[in-house]
Amino acid sequence: MDNKRKYVIPGDVVTTGPFRPEQNVELQGNKIISTTIGISEIYDDSVKVIPLTGKYIPKINDLVIGKVISHTSLSWELDINSCYVGFLPAQDVFGRDFSAHADELTSKLKSGDLVAARIANFDRTRDPLVTISDRDLGKIDTGDLIKISPSKVPRLIGKRGTMIQMIEMATDAAITIGQNGWVVVSCETPEGLLKAKKAIEMVNEKAHVANLTDQVKEMLESKGES
Amino acid sequence: MASTSVLDELKKSQIIELLEQGKRVDGRALDEPREISIEINAIPKANGSARVRLGETEVICGVKIQPDRPFPDMGDKGIFICTAELLPLSHPTVETGPPGPDVIELARVVDRGIRESHMIDVSQLVIEKNKSVVGVFADNVVIDYDGNLFDACSYAATAALLSSKTPKWNWIDDAPTLAEGEETPVPIATIPVSVTMGKIGNHIVVDPNGDEWASMDSRITITTDSDGNICALQKGGHDGFSQDEINQCGEISVRVGSKIRDKLKQAQTEGQ
Amino acid sequence: MGGRDATMVLLDENGIRCDGRKVDEPRRIMIKAGGLKNADGSAYIEFGNNKILVGVFGPRDVHPKHMSNTDTGILRVRYHMEPFSVGERKNPAPSRREIEISKVIKEALEPAVMLGKFPRTAVDVFIEVLQADGGTRCAALSAASVALADAGIPMRDMVAACAAGKVADTIVLDVNNEEDQAGQADMPIGYMPSLEKITLLQLDGVLTPEEYKKCVQVGVDGCKIVYDIQKKALQDKYFGNGAE
Repeated sequence: MDNKRKYVIPGDVVTTGPFRPEQNVELQGNKIISTTIGISEIYDDSVKVIPLTGKYIPKINDLVIGKVISHTSLSWELDINSCYVGFLPAQDVFGRDFSAHADELTSKLKSGDLVAARIANFDRTRDPLVTISDRDLGKIDTGDLIKISPSKVPRLIGKRGTMIQMIEMATDAAITIGQNGWVVVSCETPEGLLKAKKAIEMVNEKAHVANLTDQVKEMLESKGES
Repeated sequence: MASTSVLDELKKSQIIELLEQGKRVDGRALDEPREISIEINAIPKANGSARVRLGETEVICGVKIQPDRPFPDMGDKGIFICTAELLPLSHPTVETGPPGPDVIELARVVDRGIRESHMIDVSQLVIEKNKSVVGVFADNVVIDYDGNLFDACSYAATAALLSSKTPKWNWIDDAPTLAEGEETPVPIATIPVSVTMGKIGNHIVVDPNGDEWASMDSRITITTDSDGNICALQKGGHDGFSQDEINQCGEISVRVGSKIRDKLKQAQTEGQ
Repeated sequence: MGGRDATMVLLDENGIRCDGRKVDEPRRIMIKAGGLKNADGSAYIEFGNNKILVGVFGPRDVHPKHMSNTDTGILRVRYHMEPFSVGERKNPAPSRREIEISKVIKEALEPAVMLGKFPRTAVDVFIEVLQADGGTRCAALSAASVALADAGIPMRDMVAACAAGKVADTIVLDVNNEEDQAGQADMPIGYMPSLEKITLLQLDGVLTPEEYKKCVQVGVDGCKIVYDIQKKALQDKYFGNGAE
């Protein structure tokens, strides 16, 4: 690891001096300390720590995979693998003329359904607002759900999408990655599906390994079970 | 317990689709239990103990043996009590506080499975008739949940009891007095083994894992003893079984139970 | 208390204690980060013959809602001993001792955890003592800190804990069960190593003002030893073989 990146745990001093503390660090006196397990990064004038664990913190516009866990007559509640539950208003699905009397929510989505959704709004005073009203969003009818740590999602996507593209091309699988660590994989062939799932699990377990891309490539190219 | 945990519908339909083809999501045969790992003497300070992993379900059973007053009208018999507790760290939906009906049922079914088999010969656990007897307490704690706590707790308690040693007490001056250094194995008459089967649609699966447990319509736990006799039984869940299915489950419990009995015996020999 | 072997020598003429340790030597400590499948974070510790498992959930929704705080997340701690963890079988229901220790551990962790960014949520710490042998609250607190870090709960520092005490007129580190029963004082200490703050402190026994200062120093030194083991547990799980 070069000077500007270090493995840290809570309480470790990342650096001292005139830097601006950003994510997952705190200024104590003139010391900038890490508040989580992760990899510290020092830029020109700012310091942050990339966490290696922890729940998903919603960010506006993030694509997430959610599971419907309950509903009222006006909205659904989604488990989005976060500290907070996602809030999906009925209007999002039924449109502006939604009527609580006439329109039955369970006709569109019921408990246990999986959806691809986007975070529409989030501030910590309320539960995050989600939407499924775009073309690429909505109820998920087929596919296997795999859960990985949200902190591993950037590794699964790869630089400019290289890791995920490599897995999709080698297996012919369609993979939807939620920023919240939930991933849906569907594939025509059972072998492709198995290989794709294995590749995703490899990334989740070995994200810190330097030559991970090569290892995944090797596994994908090998014939049969390894 | 999984009633508050919502299973995603995709997973449930996958489970049923595979069962129609005679397969399970984790590759097991319908009458195949998960791999069982048994660690004897996990808690050395207790009189006996075992840590059992059934897939990702994990249970620790600790056995404490100490003098106790006999139950009224049972002055010539020792005491055997088996409990089960679901620890809040085992699953996000487990709450703290007094146990609910699910956990109470679990504890009582596990207790009955061992008690009704007469695994422990309680007539050999008397210190002074009508005054003082030996109490054997097998306490199960569930530390990780992935379905089928009935069997995991049963195996943990059985394995712990098989390797337990009881101290000796003599009745001196109207009190039980410990005789140092005189420990003997707990008197065991038979080895009970419980086998739990879940019904999903029209299919019977042995040892349902967490996802299968949430998908099943009803379940049955059958305990057999070393002679292959059925000594305890509990049906649970929202749906029913046909008579044929009940008979089928009986056969499965004897067959699968005997293989698991071998594993329990092997763990006991290896642990010594 | 009492009922122990009256002929046991707590400290012999060579400065060796009843279990073979020197006065400044802690018992064998092992900590493992992770291990539970369902908890958000977990840790397991063996501290001498103590065996303690900790599971953490959160930040998560609070039920019942009236217990939640609109400005910040709350920390809840439950310290619980299994019936088979102690000499005489213990009733599963929480005792007053367990309730007090739960509170003391919670207050030892609160200065470290940063829940201001998670209003209306709770972080639950579940401590299960599988086998007890003196000093469980220190071992539990040390494991809880690792489990919280494993769960990704933001913390400004770790909290490491160890007890010091007075045995046979001598200040010693890490009092075991026999020494606790037959000794003269037992002082459990919880300490944040980077911020250099003591967040758990209790005392059972009688100390002169000089002994008191020495006991605190010895305990803090012990906490630093525990901290190194906590750090190693997290490094082993997260940083693989490539540490900094």
